[in-house]
Amino acid sequence: MESNLPINQVAVPFSKKVADSLIAVFTVLSLIIQYTMTFSTRFLFLLSASMVSLHVSAQRVDDIPKKSDPLHLRVEKFDKLMMGNHWNEGAFLQQVFFPPAGLDEPIIGQYGDCLDVTTEMLAAYSYKYAITKNPEDRKIADQIFEAVATMEKVTGVPGLMARGFYKSDKPLWHETLWYPEWHNSTTMPGYRWLGDLSSDKFTSIFYGVGTYWEFCADEVQKQQAADLLDRFVGRVIDDNFKLTDLDGKMTLWGNFCPNLPHQKLNSLKVLAGLKVTYHITGKERFNAAYHMLIDEYHYDDHVVDAKILFPKEWRQVGDDYHAARSLYFLLRLESDNDLLIKYRMSLNRHWFDWKDWAYSWPSNIWDVMVYQVLTGEDVFNDERTQVVKDMWEFDRGTREFKIPQQDGSIKSVKAGYERSSGAMIRNYWFGRYYNIIDPSW
Amino acid sequence: MVAIKFNMRSFVSLVLVLSAYVSFAQNKPTPPEGMVYVPAGEFIMGSKYGDPDERPVHIATTEAFFIDKYEVSNAEFARFDPKFEVPKGKEDRAAIVTWSQANAYAKWAGKRLPTEKEWEKAARGTDGRTFPWGENYDNTYVVWDQNDSRGGSIAKPESPYGCYDMAGSVWEWTADWYKPYPGNDTPMEQYGEKYKVMRGGSNFNNYSFIRTSHRYYLEPEEISAYPVGFRCVKDVE
Repeated sequence: MESNLPINQVAVPFSKKVADSLIAVFTVLSLIIQYTMTFSTRFLFLLSASMVSLHVSAQRVDDIPKKSDPLHLRVEKFDKLMMGNHWNEGAFLQQVFFPPAGLDEPIIGQYGDCLDVTTEMLAAYSYKYAITKNPEDRKIADQIFEAVATMEKVTGVPGLMARGFYKSDKPLWHETLWYPEWHNSTTMPGYRWLGDLSSDKFTSIFYGVGTYWEFCADEVQKQQAADLLDRFVGRVIDDNFKLTDLDGKMTLWGNFCPNLPHQKLNSLKVLAGLKVTYHITGKERFNAAYHMLIDEYHYDDHVVDAKILFPKEWRQVGDDYHAARSLYFLLRLESDNDLLIKYRMSLNRHWFDWKDWAYSWPSNIWDVMVYQVLTGEDVFNDERTQVVKDMWEFDRGTREFKIPQQDGSIKSVKAGYERSSGAMIRNYWFGRYYNIIDPSW
Repeated sequence: MVAIKFNMRSFVSLVLVLSAYVSFAQNKPTPPEGMVYVPAGEFIMGSKYGDPDERPVHIATTEAFFIDKYEVSNAEFARFDPKFEVPKGKEDRAAIVTWSQANAYAKWAGKRLPTEKEWEKAARGTDGRTFPWGENYDNTYVVWDQNDSRGGSIAKPESPYGCYDMAGSVWEWTADWYKPYPGNDTPMEQYGEKYKVMRGGSNFNNYSFIRTSHRYYLEPEEISAYPVGFRCVKDVE
């Protein structure tokens, strides 16, 4: 629980080469600024400098597709936006902030959901590689997997995963955008990482790593992926099916524990996580834990009821996404007929809602794709096919950021932001792999 | 005759029991408006399955006290601090304040913040139950964060002593610093006099956080990430 963010980091978005040559100049300038200006003058000076430099040498990708572009072109352009603006040492940020609120590289953004989009992109490139067999696609997937592995390495604790990390030896202002669970890394000096992992991120990890293992990784990488899940899910078992933080306490959303009340959806998530981990490690402890939760605590029955259908206003689209990723593995990896019947019941209950969706969110249509893949039913009628062809996930705009100042006051700064297109890119390559999407669309 | 004697004895016994009940009822203090009475005595505190800081399960004791039936509302807090901004239409929702603000309000109201023991006893009674209403969770038993009026859950369950929203709604400040229970030897660097304990959870998080024994620590003035409110207690004179 760290707090106090005295840092007012204002960025200068030079391109890397330009930045390298100007670092020395900027350092000298900074020293002059530091010793000759008051704090508020410094702030205004740096703010102006960053805005001018944005105008002069913006390195961000700005080639935004048109809605009228064909699907494959939109995906190609969104991919470039993601790689250019959201990629940070292999990980992707759900939302990035441009100067003056952000830095020249996309390390300023919202880290709380970093694992979601990172594993969506890991899955995207895994499906893509399965189609193209292009080593360049695998190379990118490998780098994204490395970032997921860094989420563990940066914590210094085997099996403990961070929500996100960035390079800085001191806290930057954006840390206030999430729970104050930031830490200095002891194993990667000069890095900061965000704790408080949730059951949703647990799902992202086994989904992304499991997909990479299945569709992309070579033998060496398969072993690395298996080792990562072994430590991660093994730690959850060791902690009586809880995600725990450095302080030993359960995280805010890290509860799969059979002795504690928890959402039935979490029972589904943990069974899927155990199943995937057993599948790729072959270690009996994961199979034993899976069957213990079913035999003694009836988690299979929880799976059936994981979807809240009534009252209608309690239905959660976000929850369904986690359920879809979990059922995607459970229904493909389970061979016990009794369990398969229950998992299918769960899928049916989800479909009761999904079949009537308005598909306003990219993951909606992915859930429908998953349903088709798992059941073999042809559910892509003209309307749903058009939804796929029209997929769009992009948002860029300006918002006001409240940036803490060194004197304790709050400064309002207007800056640009851009949201991720990761789910749509994943949808596309998933659909391509399973022949739901035609390459000509 | 035997039958008559038996009836006389029964009658006398009944009169004694009734007298005792009436006497007890008369001695039970009348709570101030908006508060409920919690009698002195022992109760089961802590949990075997929760976080390490909830252990060990032990028998704790409190004096008798009164405790607010509901969390302090925006409108109530604004009467104490006129500068406190109350969003229109949210007057009856729980106020989100720092520990210092909560403590100041309690003093102004002639009350104080509850100790952890008092809070937990008021929430779970004497029998060690998981939630104020018993063992099972249901969405209809709780209000979501501070987004509903106090007591606005569908089922409206009361704690054993008649309190509302001690599970879910907003977290609630206690008077205590975050320290280990007697007999707890699990090291925690956060123990000491830096963090105050908050209780009751917010339904925004997982169900386990709204258990009556769950403890969480927070710097007294740090509420940007958590919705923390409070309720007050008052000593029985």
